[in-house]
Amino acid sequence: MTNVPAHRPVFCPIVPPHLLESLARHEDPEVHVPARYTLELDAVHRTRRRIGAPVAVESAVAEAVADRPNRTIYDAGHEQTLPGAEVRAEGAGPVKDQPVNHAYDGLGATFEFYLKAYRRHSVDGRGLPLNASVHYGQGYNNAFWDGRQMVFGDGDGRIFQDFTGSVDVIGHELTHGVTQYSANLQYFGQSGALNESVSDVFGSIIKQYALGQTADQADWLIGADVLAPGIHGVALRSMKAPGTAYDDPALGKDPQPATMDGYVSTSQDNGGVHINSGIPNHAFYLVAATLGGHSWERAGQIWYDTLTGGRLASDADFADFARATAAAAHARYGDGEEHQAVLKAWSQVGVAASAALPRQAAPEGAPSSSQG
Amino acid sequence: MRIAVTRTGGFAGITRRAELDTTGRHDEARLRSLAVAALSDGRPDRPAGVPDGFDYELEVDGIKAYCADPHLSAPQRELISRVLGERA
Repeated sequence: MTNVPAHRPVFCPIVPPHLLESLARHEDPEVHVPARYTLELDAVHRTRRRIGAPVAVESAVAEAVADRPNRTIYDAGHEQTLPGAEVRAEGAGPVKDQPVNHAYDGLGATFEFYLKAYRRHSVDGRGLPLNASVHYGQGYNNAFWDGRQMVFGDGDGRIFQDFTGSVDVIGHELTHGVTQYSANLQYFGQSGALNESVSDVFGSIIKQYALGQTADQADWLIGADVLAPGIHGVALRSMKAPGTAYDDPALGKDPQPATMDGYVSTSQDNGGVHINSGIPNHAFYLVAATLGGHSWERAGQIWYDTLTGGRLASDADFADFARATAAAAHARYGDGEEHQAVLKAWSQVGVAASAALPRQAAPEGAPSSSQG
Repeated sequence: MRIAVTRTGGFAGITRRAELDTTGRHDEARLRSLAVAALSDGRPDRPAGVPDGFDYELEVDGIKAYCADPHLSAPQRELISRVLGERA
């Protein structure tokens, strides 16, 4: 079957450009029209970024944006049509259905974290309304970000339970939105694993922030609360010890590597984005553990500067990202323990970060270090 | 008709695969029509999915097609549910 018609092309801002370009050449207008439109939008976006407008615009707009979230929770009613019926709007009190309240509170905790820790207003930095749908599908074992909103399944109760029950899962999903509006890391291969890792990093930090934990008090686990009782495991991923989160007859064994020696090449899972994310996850853990204290303050700040600084290519690989974090650490803190911790962490996971330090402009809000 | 579904990706990143042979099953006619519709709604290459969305590979008598959440057609959704549900 070589001419399978493509009735339902997937178009979201994270489609890799090479795929978009081939879709744009497709003979079927249903396929090529939206692809061409997206490419044009991308071009406009890139041009704006090149002329350096967004940083200034973003901070000017941020001043005018309220320091409050604008949340709406929908009930998909066990169907797979989004968003579903509105069940709780911003400012409304709790409802009887707990997943609705968990989602509402989790969106609030994530909004507050980005605002307080980094003065970021919502996922786009401009107060984007936060929407989420709960009860998606029947016993649906997943949660995802569809490019516009969060989507939560209930879990089948056998392997997974309600995905709204874990604030790190909510933080993880919304951080996909932050990434989409900043570095826009392509969701494939190493840039995709970085996209996943950044979501795990901030998902974990958001939980630590909510609990007031320091790096040595944190469990560094992702999805600890979504595993059903009886599953042999502590969580879905461990940033402290990738590959050790679970080992269960129904789930298999946690496949994550902690270092480049265990890097997995596969075409599944968008090129192993949920597998190889263990490597940058562990690098972040090492930086946070070395620096100690609250991980959102220095380690998190360095990762946030890297993600939002406007210098990271959307197809960045691990080495690009490693160098960018080292440059971000140097730009904000100079050649001190932060910069050294970053270099050492990447070296421990087998990624070279120590190429000649690029002369990097200071990130948004950072003191200028090189060209004062 | 042999139908296999492989699901990858998702928040957990855990792969699930199930396969069945429609021969002699009480729902054989339904499965066969779903399989044909699901394949024709599919794409010849893996579509770029959304972050943490499930990706599916459908294989019907050796013919493969791909699809990804949340953009499944109704036949794809039902076929995937029936085939993966076999092991649930």
